[in-house]
Amino acid sequence: MWKPVRLFNFKKKFDFLAQRRAALIISTLINVVSIVGVFTLGLNFGIDFKGGIAIQAKAKDGTAELDQLRNIVGNLGVGEVSLQEFGDPSTVLIRVQRQEGDNQCVAGAQRVMQKTAGQGWQVKPGAAGTGDVEFTSPTALDSVNWRDAVSRAGLTLQERQLPRGSTNTATIDMSVEQRAEWCQQVAIKLVEDAIGSNYELRGTESVGPKIGDELMRGGIYAVIATMFAIAIYVWVRFEWQFAVGALIAMLHDVISTIGIFVLFQLDFSLTALAAVLTIAGYSINDTVVIFDRVRENMRRYKKMPLIDLLNHSVNETLSRTLMTSATVFVAVAALVLFGGPVLHSFSIAMLWGVIVGAYSSVWVACAGLVYLGLRADQLRPVEDKADKGGDTEKAEA
Amino acid sequence: MLNLPRWQTIVIAGITLLSALFALPNLLPASVLQHLPQWYATSRINLGLDLRGGAHFLLEADLRSVLTERLTNLSDAVRAELRKQQVPFRDVAVEAGKNLVVTLRDEANRSKALEAIRAVDPALALSGSGDTIRVAYSEQELAKRKKEVIDQSIEILRRRVDETGTLEPTITRQGDERILLQVPGIKDTGDLKRKINQTAKLTFHLVNEDLAATGQNIPQTVPPTTFLVPTREGMLELRRTNPKAWEDIQAANPRLSPEQICRRYQPQCLPVLKRVVVGGEDLDDSKATFEQQQGGRPIISFTFNSAGGRAFCNATRNNIGKRLAIQLDGEIISAPVVQSAICGGSGIITGSFTTQQTQEQSLLLRSGALPATLTIIQESTVGADLGADAIQAGTVAALVGTLLVAIFMFVAYGPVFGGFANLAMLVNLLMVFAGMSILGASLTLPGIAGLVLTAGLAVDANVLIYERVREEKALGRSPFSALATGYEKAMSAIIDANLTTLIAGLLLFGFGSGPIRGFATTLTLGIITSMFSSTIFTRMLLSVWVRWRRPTELVI
Repeated sequence: MWKPVRLFNFKKKFDFLAQRRAALIISTLINVVSIVGVFTLGLNFGIDFKGGIAIQAKAKDGTAELDQLRNIVGNLGVGEVSLQEFGDPSTVLIRVQRQEGDNQCVAGAQRVMQKTAGQGWQVKPGAAGTGDVEFTSPTALDSVNWRDAVSRAGLTLQERQLPRGSTNTATIDMSVEQRAEWCQQVAIKLVEDAIGSNYELRGTESVGPKIGDELMRGGIYAVIATMFAIAIYVWVRFEWQFAVGALIAMLHDVISTIGIFVLFQLDFSLTALAAVLTIAGYSINDTVVIFDRVRENMRRYKKMPLIDLLNHSVNETLSRTLMTSATVFVAVAALVLFGGPVLHSFSIAMLWGVIVGAYSSVWVACAGLVYLGLRADQLRPVEDKADKGGDTEKAEA
Repeated sequence: MLNLPRWQTIVIAGITLLSALFALPNLLPASVLQHLPQWYATSRINLGLDLRGGAHFLLEADLRSVLTERLTNLSDAVRAELRKQQVPFRDVAVEAGKNLVVTLRDEANRSKALEAIRAVDPALALSGSGDTIRVAYSEQELAKRKKEVIDQSIEILRRRVDETGTLEPTITRQGDERILLQVPGIKDTGDLKRKINQTAKLTFHLVNEDLAATGQNIPQTVPPTTFLVPTREGMLELRRTNPKAWEDIQAANPRLSPEQICRRYQPQCLPVLKRVVVGGEDLDDSKATFEQQQGGRPIISFTFNSAGGRAFCNATRNNIGKRLAIQLDGEIISAPVVQSAICGGSGIITGSFTTQQTQEQSLLLRSGALPATLTIIQESTVGADLGADAIQAGTVAALVGTLLVAIFMFVAYGPVFGGFANLAMLVNLLMVFAGMSILGASLTLPGIAGLVLTAGLAVDANVLIYERVREEKALGRSPFSALATGYEKAMSAIIDANLTTLIAGLLLFGFGSGPIRGFATTLTLGIITSMFSSTIFTRMLLSVWVRWRRPTELVI
C-alpha cells in the first residue's frame, strides 16, 4: 500500500497580507472593469433571458457552410440572426432575435401560407394599433377549414375568432402581445423550411417575449435573494467584521464571474445563472474555514498583532484551502473537457469561481478584516461546542 | 466521539444500505430488472427531456378574452331581464376583460335595476353610483372559472395529443393561466403543434331511421343524402378484436372516410343524414350532472349559443322520436332519441349512464373546442440523437470527474483515509440517486453537472476533517484522540460551508424551471446527503476501523 502524499505542504510560511494593497488594487480593478464591461460591452444574454429562437442543425453532407447559411437565414426577414459552430464542424447553432410581431412577420406568415396551403394565399396586418391579421384564401372556406388552414402558420384559433359561413377573407383579432408570441412560431417555420432540405434539425428552442422578460426579472431576484439570504446567515454566525469581509469576498466573486462572461462573451443563459448562484454559495466555503481559524487563534493569542495573526491562520489552513479547491477544480475540469457544448459556459464560469473563491478568501476576506479594524475584544463570548474545544486547547498550550 | 454505540452503527449502516437498495434499480440492466417485482423495478429516475429527447411547450391561455366573451353573454341576459322588469336603460356596455357598465335612463330606478341584475345571477358584484351600475364577477367566481378553463384545456390537450395512447405526455398546470405540455421521445414537433391546434370536428346529424329499421349493419346501398359512420363502441370493439385493422386505419394515408371504414372493416355503424343539424362550434358547454328528480340519475347537459340553439330547436321540433347522432371525428359518440323539442339553447341527454360515462361523454362533447386560445410562449425540442449526445457527454464527464476526485483523495490521504472518503462519495451519489427515485425527480444534463459538482464538494468535508486530524497528530495526540478532535473541530466549518451552498441551491430550485431545476435538485440533494455520508458515515467507518486495527500511528 502507498503512503499519503502531502500535496500542499509548504515548509515556508508566506506573508500573504503583505500583498494586501496590491491585492486591493487588483481586486478593485477586476470588479470595476467587470461592472464597466457589463454596461459597455454588455452580457451576451442567451435566449432564456432575451427571448428569441435557437435552432441546432447538423449538415446532412458533413460540413456546415456558415456563410451560406447566414445568407439564407439572414434574408428571411426574421430580424437579426447569428450563427456559430456548435461542438463540431458539422453542427451549427442558429440564433434568431426575439420577434416583435411587426409587419415583416406578417409578410413571413404569408410566405408560410403560400408554401403550405397554396400560392393564392395572402396575409396582411389588420387595423393599426391592434395585433389583428387578415388572411385571404383563394377559395371560400368554412370555419373548420379556416381553422385547419391558419394552423399551418402555427395559429390556434377559437370559435369566436373564426368567420361565420363560407368566406374568402378572415380577420383574426389578436392583441399586439399575442401576435408577437405567434411570430416566434412563424419565424421557426421560416427557418426550418429554409434549411430543412440540407440540414437535419436536432433541436429547437424558442422563448417568447413574455417569458424572456419574466425570466430576466426572476433571475435578477434570484441573485439578489440568494446573496441576501447568505448575508443573513453569515451575519448570524459571525461577528460583523467577519460577515462584512465574507460578503465583500462573495460580491467580488460574483461580480468577477459576471466579468468573465463579458470578457469571453460567453452565453449568459439560465445555466450560467445557476453557475453564478452556486459560486455565491461556494465562495463562502473557503472563507469560513479561514475565519474559523482566525477566531480560534484570536482567542488563543490575544496579544498577537492582527496582520501576523491573519497570516498565521491563513498559513495554517493553506493546505486545506488548496485541497478543497483542488477537488472541486478537478471535478469541474472534467465538465469543461467532456461536458459538451451545452454545459460549456457553465463549466468555465464554475472553474473561474473555484479559483477566484480561493483567492478572495485570502486577499479579499482576510485583507478586509485588516481594513475593518478587527480587534480581539470584539469577539463574541464563546458559545458553541467547537469553540469550547479551542479554549481547552489554550489551556493545554 | 468515535466510540459509537452499536445501535448507532447499525442505524447508519441501515440507512446506507436502504439508499443503495433504492438507488439500485437505476444501475441494473433491463435483463435483471424484469425478474424483480414491478413496484421496485419501476422506481427509477426519469431522464429529463434534454437527455431523453422530446418536446416541451409552455402554453398560455387567453383568459381575458374568455372573460370578455362571458361578459358579452351576461350583457344579453342583463338587457333581457331589465326589459322584462321594465327598467328603462340607456346602455349595457362591456368593458373588455373587466366588467359591464349599465347606464340607466333614470337614477330613481336604481334599486329596481339592482334587483333585476341580481335576479340574473345573485353572485355578481355590483358597484357604481347614480345612473351607472358596474357589474362584475366576484373574485371567487373568476378564480373558479379560470381553474375550469385550464382544467378543461388540459383534458382536451390530453385527448388531442395522445389520440393513439402511445406518447405518455405530461400535461400540468403552471400557475394561474399556463399549461406545461411535455412529450418525451417525439420526433415530429410540427405534427404535435398541428395536433394542439387541430380541433376535433363535432357535428350533430339525424339518423336515417328508415334505413336503420332494415336491421342491416352495413346496407349494400345507401341513398345519396345518407352516409355510414362507425360508432365509438364499434371502433373500440374493433380495436380489441382486430388490432391489425385498427392500426391500418390509423396509418392509412390519406385517411379513410367513415363510410370506407364501415365497408372495409365492418364495425358497428349507423346510417346518418349528411346534412349537419348543428356544428360543434355552436356548442358552448357541456357538463356531466345529475337529474333533478327521479333519483338523480347521471345525465349530460349541454348549452348552445343563440345560432346553435335556433338550429337545434328547429331540428328537434320536427323530429321527435328520431335519433340524433353526435359525430366526433368520424365516430358516433352517442345517438340519443329526441324526446321533445329542445328550444332555449340548452338540453340534456338521459340514458342508463354511469357517472364515469357521463363525464367521458360530456368531455367528448366539449373536445370540439378549446375554451381559451392557447399561445405557445416557450418551446424546446430536443431530437433523440441530440439527447443521446448529451447523455454520452454527461456520462463521460461524470465518470471522469468522480474518478479524478477519487484519485486525488487516494493520493492525498492514502488507501485507508482516501478510501473512506471515496466510499463516502460513492454513498453520497447513491443517496442522491435514491432520493431522486423516491421523489420522482428528473435527471437533466445540468443535473449531471450538479452531481459532478456534488462529488467535488462532498469530499471537501473529509479534506477539512483529515487536515485537522493531521494537525492534531502533529501536536502529538494519540491516533484515537486526533481522529476524535479532527471530527469535532472541523464540524462547524463543514456545516457553514454546506448551508451557504444549500441556500443557493434551494433558491435556484425555487426560481428555476426545466433543466436548471434538475441542477438545483441534484446539488441540493447532494449537499444534504453529503452531510450524512461525509461526516456521520465516515465516522462510523473510522470507529469500526479503529476498534478493529487499533492503530498506534495514523498514516494520514
